[in-house]
Amino acid sequence: MLFLVAAGLQLVFGVQKILNLACGSFYALGAYAGVSAVTWALGHGLPAPLFVVALLAGGLALAVIGPPLERLLRTIDGRDESFQLLLTFALVLMLEDVIRFVWGPAPVQLRGAYLVYGQVTVAGSTVPVYNLFVIAAGGVIALGMGLLLTRTRFGRIVRATAENREVAAALGVDMRRVYRRVFTLGVALGTVGGALVIPATAAVSEMAIEVIVDAFAVVVIGGLGSMRGAFAGALIVGVLKAGAIATWPEVEMLAIYVVVIGVLVLRPAGLFAGATP
Amino acid sequence: MRTTRRQFFTLTGGALAAASLRLDVAPALAQAAPVKLGILAAKAGVLAPVGESGLRGVQWAAERINAAGGILGRKLELVIEEESSPKDTVERFRKLALHDKVDAVSGAISTGVGLALGPVAEEMKTIWLSWDATTQKGVEETMPKPKYSFRSTDNECEAVMASILTGRHWKGKFKTVAGINPDYSYGRDNWAAFLAIMKKYGMDVQVVSELWPKLGATDFTAHVAALAQAKPDLIFSCHWAGDTPIFMKQAHGAGLTKSTKFVLTTGGGVHESLKKEFTPEGAILGYNTFYFEHARASALAREFVRWHQEKFKEWPNYESDHGYFTIVAYKTAVERAARAAGSKWPSQDAIIQALEGVEAESLSGPRRYREDHIMEATFFQGITTHRNKAYDFVTIDPVETMTTRQIQKPSGVGLYDWINGWKV
Amino acid sequence: MIARVAGAAAMLALLLAPVLASPYQLTLLLPAFAYAIALLGLNLLFGTTGLLSFGHALFVALGAYTAAWLTTRAGVLALEAIVLAAAALAAVIALPVGLLCVRYVKISFGMLTLAFGMLFYSFLYKFYLVTGGDEGIRVLRPRLLGQTFAGLDKVGFLTGPFYYYALALLVLAALVMRRIVRSPFGLSLRAIRENPDKAAFVGVSVRRYRFYAFMIAAVFGAVGGALLAVPTGLADPQLAYWTHSGNLVFMLLLGGFHHFLGPVVGAVVFIFLQDAVMSLTAYWRFVFGALLAVVVIFFPGGLLGLLARERPA
Repeated sequence: MLFLVAAGLQLVFGVQKILNLACGSFYALGAYAGVSAVTWALGHGLPAPLFVVALLAGGLALAVIGPPLERLLRTIDGRDESFQLLLTFALVLMLEDVIRFVWGPAPVQLRGAYLVYGQVTVAGSTVPVYNLFVIAAGGVIALGMGLLLTRTRFGRIVRATAENREVAAALGVDMRRVYRRVFTLGVALGTVGGALVIPATAAVSEMAIEVIVDAFAVVVIGGLGSMRGAFAGALIVGVLKAGAIATWPEVEMLAIYVVVIGVLVLRPAGLFAGATP
Repeated sequence: MRTTRRQFFTLTGGALAAASLRLDVAPALAQAAPVKLGILAAKAGVLAPVGESGLRGVQWAAERINAAGGILGRKLELVIEEESSPKDTVERFRKLALHDKVDAVSGAISTGVGLALGPVAEEMKTIWLSWDATTQKGVEETMPKPKYSFRSTDNECEAVMASILTGRHWKGKFKTVAGINPDYSYGRDNWAAFLAIMKKYGMDVQVVSELWPKLGATDFTAHVAALAQAKPDLIFSCHWAGDTPIFMKQAHGAGLTKSTKFVLTTGGGVHESLKKEFTPEGAILGYNTFYFEHARASALAREFVRWHQEKFKEWPNYESDHGYFTIVAYKTAVERAARAAGSKWPSQDAIIQALEGVEAESLSGPRRYREDHIMEATFFQGITTHRNKAYDFVTIDPVETMTTRQIQKPSGVGLYDWINGWKV
Repeated sequence: MIARVAGAAAMLALLLAPVLASPYQLTLLLPAFAYAIALLGLNLLFGTTGLLSFGHALFVALGAYTAAWLTTRAGVLALEAIVLAAAALAAVIALPVGLLCVRYVKISFGMLTLAFGMLFYSFLYKFYLVTGGDEGIRVLRPRLLGQTFAGLDKVGFLTGPFYYYALALLVLAALVMRRIVRSPFGLSLRAIRENPDKAAFVGVSVRRYRFYAFMIAAVFGAVGGALLAVPTGLADPQLAYWTHSGNLVFMLLLGGFHHFLGPVVGAVVFIFLQDAVMSLTAYWRFVFGALLAVVVIFFPGGLLGLLARERPA
């Protein structure tokens, strides 16, 4: 799921050159919205196995906050990037309290959804089918993003903008529209990621500032702005965490930052720099 | 800006001087002036639900006391501030003491904050009644003989009780154990206490995995995978926050709940979120010092549970009782000291003296402060069951109780010296 | 001229504050002074050199832990020694960190500093025996210039001798920083901010100068951190968390990073504002987030920029 957050981060960075600290907040918002949507839908007679529909709808619905936030960020377009970074930090602070105001300080969990699809045994260990579904969903979204960026007109425009915004603008591309759509897509990736993960966990308000650190790690390892890098980076971080926990739990958090710094030092552009954005 | 700041100082300084003057010339009004109690309750982050719970207990206590005429005719007034990082909370404490001039402070949960506040309470000469956060380091190393701080029960009580129950129920029935505990002093102390007691009981356990997820973690998949690989007979965990149900959910998803024994010393902190769908029957589950559905609960406790359920649509947990007790203990101590002082409002030193050894009726029965300022209370643990009709979460049956006289190290003894000195 | 009069008046107010202000306001000024010192360093990076660090809290925490280690574990109570040790340790740590970080600018620099800050945070959090884990380590009451002031309680100590000590250190730090900023070295840093290529062309070694700025900023951060830890009485890992770095940048921006005294104003205003808003509402983070957004969008020059009616750069 880290992949989706990171992918959103990548997309927005790649195109708009905005590094969004608030992507973790979108993730948290998506998680809370997912719980609310599913609880509401189940309460209105939605059969349990269809809960993912409500879940995704909840996550997607929240993407409506994309355009206004993009508008907000655009007010300082053209100023130093550092200011945009700070503005997204302001969003982090505000959204954390918005969550507490709407959903309260207690963790919110989704009941009766996680094991609706049962469990399977893979290579000797038991895995809930839902976990496999999430992995598959991650893959599908990755693939979809790839196709969107390489095969569609919108994708070509986005890539052209990422490449060189002046030329794209000169060629008659409506920059504002592209930015708005790209940013909203980035938000949606985050909120859907948050919604998808929630059946297996619980939504807590501090997940926003926790996940951002992991998402950064993924982005740095994969290379800023690279979609393929986000996917690989997420895998590397996941494997690294699991490996550290299994062998030497003390270094779990440390290991990730060491790798991040190592990558930054040795291959500053990331392991997958140059791959298609 | 510069001049405004100076003006600000002069102005506020003047206003404050005027305010203190007013208090000084009006001693006759002091009787009717409210008693100010500062409250430090966490509002954000992983501690927030617990802070909220403690605050509810405090507010309920204050409402009842005020409805009955207050303390010696003075109403209680709560000044609520947020417990956050140690640095900010120390500043809040100073504000309560210096600016609001409160009579006492109640609150604080986090161990780091507890460690920081202990010395500050002494420096500020302000009574501090802590809700929680009584770590060995805080008590032994840093505050051996506090005057103004009154601590909650030791953090390790629950591990001690759960370990005794483990021995009672499962001795000889398990060999390999794994620990998954939040990565801070509380988790480490509890795990160490558990292992020490296993050894003391002659249970030759083998540790196959020791995991330390960060407090408040939301993803345990890697930990659960490590546990599944280690295949322990028993898993010990002292998680108490919102991470508890997440861990259980993911452990259940990976099939760990089928055959492994679970000892959840403090899961009762979030008991309503331990849904039947993923929390197994037959696990040892601790509720700290308050069990919402105790068959022998007092009328007081029943009233509180009813009020809590009606107002918040939730069943209360132990932190409410910690908060409640700090307030009634303060009231009892003031009244006790007043009797000695001829019905006048007693001095702070007299209140402190009265607090030492004070006994008051808490929601879970009588509680008291020991002479060394540590709380004494009753703990509730038991074996989880799904056989309750009204709830979608697990409860315990039978409910076992132990008092701190059985499971808390006595004054002046090291925890492990005490455990090793047991006769078993 | 007006600025000078205002400055003198402010200085006089600060000198007389122990007489005029309440003890509580004085205890609030102490962290403000400490932050101001740390921010002077941060501003050399951001305001002067144009590098935005999201990991400055690393050095603040390092200073705080130096105070903790020395007072609690080594029995060193002389604050002069603690401050010097914090500065030296910061320099040692900043050497490798700085060498790596200054290879990047803008966002990459911000991210790399954030990563180092979090690396230090996990070290503090995980290495329980050295750092006390989440609980941190206590910071004992230090000696000032060999004096213990045993006759004073902690509040008296903090609002009396320690207040003036911190104020003196702040003034000293500000004077040193002013020398740095006005020296040819400071001019070169500004040249680098405006146009690195041009600076390189006229013979300024861009990377080396950025590195020096980083080192100086680290030392200021640690000195501020050591001072910050004394009133709190504890060094804990949250001091190194990335949101703390974010708050530092917030303060700087609030005060105004174009101005030499922006850090001081920012720190003082931030602390007093936080105190007021926290008492008013539990949702003070929202208020602060909104405030930051307003500052970033409408008043990027900060409070001093507003007063000086400067056009935002």
